[in-house]
Amino acid sequence: MDRGRASWNRVGPVVLGSVVLGVAYYVAGRLSLQLSLIEDNVTPLWPPTGIALVAFLVRGRRLWPGVALAAFVLNLPITASPLAAATTAVGNTLAPYVASAVLDRVGFRRELDRLRDAVAIVVVGALSMTISATIGTATLVATGTIAGRASAPAWAVWWAGDAMGVLIVAPFLFCLPSFRDRAFLLGRRGVETVGMLVLVGLVMAGVLTTGTSMLFAVLPIVGVISWRLQQRGAAPAALLVSLMATRAAVARTGPFAGVPLLDEMLTLQAFNASVAFTSFFFAASVTERLRARAALEASAAGLEERVAERTAELRAANARLAEAQELARLGFWEWDLETGRVTWSAEMYRIYGVPPDEEITFERAVELVDPDDRQQIRDNVRHAVEHASAEVPPVEYRVHRDDGSTATLLGRARAVVSGGSVARMLGTVQDVTERHELAREHRIADTLQRALLPQALPEHGAITFASRYVPAEEGSSAGGDWYDVIDLPDGTVALVIGDVAGHGVEAASVMGQVRMAVRAYGLEGHGPRTVVGLVHDLLRSFYEGEQMVTMLYVVVDPVTLEARVVNAGHPPMLVLDPDGGGAVFLEGQTGLPLGLAWDLPYEESIARLRSGSTLVLFTDGLIDRRDVEVGEGLERLRSAAAERVDLDPDALCGALLESLVPADASDDVAIVAARLLAARDRFELRIPADPARLRAVRRSVTRWLAASGVEHEAIADIVLACSEACANAIEHAYGPGEGTVEIEGALHDGQIDLTVRDGGSWREPRVGDRGRGLRLIGACMDEVHIEQTGNGTEVRMRRATHPAAVG
Amino acid sequence: MSGGDAAAVELVERGPLLRVRMTGEVDLSNAAELETAIVELMPNEAAGMVLDLSALSYLDSSGIRMLLTLVGRFAWRGQQLAIVSPPGSRVRNVLQLAGASEVLVVDTADDAAIARLLRPDRGGPTS
Repeated sequence: MDRGRASWNRVGPVVLGSVVLGVAYYVAGRLSLQLSLIEDNVTPLWPPTGIALVAFLVRGRRLWPGVALAAFVLNLPITASPLAAATTAVGNTLAPYVASAVLDRVGFRRELDRLRDAVAIVVVGALSMTISATIGTATLVATGTIAGRASAPAWAVWWAGDAMGVLIVAPFLFCLPSFRDRAFLLGRRGVETVGMLVLVGLVMAGVLTTGTSMLFAVLPIVGVISWRLQQRGAAPAALLVSLMATRAAVARTGPFAGVPLLDEMLTLQAFNASVAFTSFFFAASVTERLRARAALEASAAGLEERVAERTAELRAANARLAEAQELARLGFWEWDLETGRVTWSAEMYRIYGVPPDEEITFERAVELVDPDDRQQIRDNVRHAVEHASAEVPPVEYRVHRDDGSTATLLGRARAVVSGGSVARMLGTVQDVTERHELAREHRIADTLQRALLPQALPEHGAITFASRYVPAEEGSSAGGDWYDVIDLPDGTVALVIGDVAGHGVEAASVMGQVRMAVRAYGLEGHGPRTVVGLVHDLLRSFYEGEQMVTMLYVVVDPVTLEARVVNAGHPPMLVLDPDGGGAVFLEGQTGLPLGLAWDLPYEESIARLRSGSTLVLFTDGLIDRRDVEVGEGLERLRSAAAERVDLDPDALCGALLESLVPADASDDVAIVAARLLAARDRFELRIPADPARLRAVRRSVTRWLAASGVEHEAIADIVLACSEACANAIEHAYGPGEGTVEIEGALHDGQIDLTVRDGGSWREPRVGDRGRGLRLIGACMDEVHIEQTGNGTEVRMRRATHPAAVG
Repeated sequence: MSGGDAAAVELVERGPLLRVRMTGEVDLSNAAELETAIVELMPNEAAGMVLDLSALSYLDSSGIRMLLTLVGRFAWRGQQLAIVSPPGSRVRNVLQLAGASEVLVVDTADDAAIARLLRPDRGGPTS
């Protein structure tokens, strides 16, 4: 009994589906036969095909027995023999079967909301209906029902009828479920749909009584309906209009009165096809456009801020570049050989002593050059152009400025070769008149070094940072000190400090590379030992053991209150204890500096910290004094720090520099201080108005709440409210320069105060959606206040964190 | 198939009902992308989709908005959407708090229960 039921469960739906489909097919077929034209056998519009196709697509092709049976029963009374009926039924079943198989294969979507789906159903529908037309017509001829010469028109009518069944009926059936949307039916769109359908029906009725071929006048109306209402208007309208036209053709009334059969068929099918194409393609196109527009609008939000950010970044980069050029007395020029136009940087004008608004040509520039040197310059240029070579040897030459002064310049140039000839030349000119001044080179290295150090420290909710960098006094060589603070993706922070052996520009450039490498490996998610090991390998292989770098790499986790430290030959980290523990150097494994030829593994030390602990990382410039031993230098630092344990990181750095570093220091000093905010302190975070930041905000807030001992259930609610408020703010932020969101939290007296602030101007929320977000916030927090000032919006929320004994 | 690093959509079973599992976090940053991914997964002939949110660690109004849009889009095609979310879970709480009653939510991904609830249409497109 059970097995019987199990197999019924498998087979049951198929049988039931087939039966229902068969019945639908039969009923539709009988009704449609009323529209028959040729010997009661062939109809210009055969809806059952459309029904079969839709059923196969939506319920599966295994329902084919229903169609086959129904077609057979339909054909019986009108064909010569049961065999003929069977054969015809085969054609009737095979055509939609094949069509649905092909459509499935090409990924056809029943919503018909893409142009490609519209094209697919037209092409596949048209092609597969040749199957049923051919089999059917062949049967008719074979049984002698129609004469051989009548087979061509008969085939045409059959094919057109089946194809129209697909094109007109199938889209209508596909969009039927969408009418169940009560909101649509009773709303403005529903009324508009009904109105338009009535209108087109009336127009059609009118057109059909005129007796002239005004048929096609109804097409624009169908077009408008498709455009305004898309599929839900297009499909019913097309069906209505085609049915009316077909009926008129069969009854030979109106425009079809007294017209020969073939002409009548041609006109009718041309009309039906036009209606089908107009309705679908319009509807699909409009739907695609609407979707594309919605996507575009969503991505356009925030575009303005990003553009503004990039512009600001670019401007800053340009300013730094200009500054570097000026310091190095380096001018930049470009010469377009085709147009003859010469472009000079600001520094070029200064070097040549030419007023900045004067237009420059090659000849003008050469005019200023000392006559003895001119020939060499001209020769170089000629050589480059004639030989289309990119290499131009550097030239040292003198110029006589308009104000009478003379300068020695070093010119470097390059020719840009394109298509076998020289199109452009560009180069630099450096004023080397004072080339023997060390100060120049020192300043270059200094500028470079500054440019390569972090411009700003990241903001982190649980840790405060500060840093200082003091270059060595002029007259000595700049070293390669650097520091970095890296916001790691898992909420921890890496503090890095290091010293590249050597000096000058070379050391500065190595420093830049090492800094980037550490950053890259750290952000990739490697642990401290791995990061340091990888940088060591990199240096070793690149500089073949010739370049040494000391480094301290520390990863701080504000939740576990742990610092993982890897030391590569660098002075140790100093840890300040907030509660009277003073200052202590972290004793741990110190490995060899990076970049040396030996490969010994680096060890990791763990420092256990407390809320309020401060870490200080520094380079040896802070402790090395000419007349002082290293040990004593370290002790001086330690006691200076121990006296100032309560200072915030920024003040601490300043105070340590002041007390330990004399004014004429011969080495660079870099110092980084980081303090873990005490568990009960405030939480502050500022983020750009970018949805991608929401996850990091949730993480940060969770960590802060967890570290503060807030209970689990409350954490989830508070984080949800915070994320909702931020998402709200991000959607407001609209317009350049308003793209940051500030989050502030404070935990006191058993309650949490959370504030989310943005500087955006209010933007109309999507209907219904903001309500839900605000409702969530209200459900998660005890109190919510939203204030809109002229500058933006502020959302203040409050929640008790220890559930009181509820009465 | 995924929506960035924050969330992923995974097809568990293909059949008369499509079973899909969503993991990770859904918020403003990835809701639209996930919606597209889910719609692409849905074939023409499925009666509906069972979207399992048991492994989702975060859901807020953006995600709920996405679910409601999915319900609407599927209804257009005569297909239903059922959300699986264990009672007492964080996601279930959020669904209740936000009052998303138009979304059909079931407790577990149990075949019989879902089949009963979805009640696929009998009689195909003419009904």
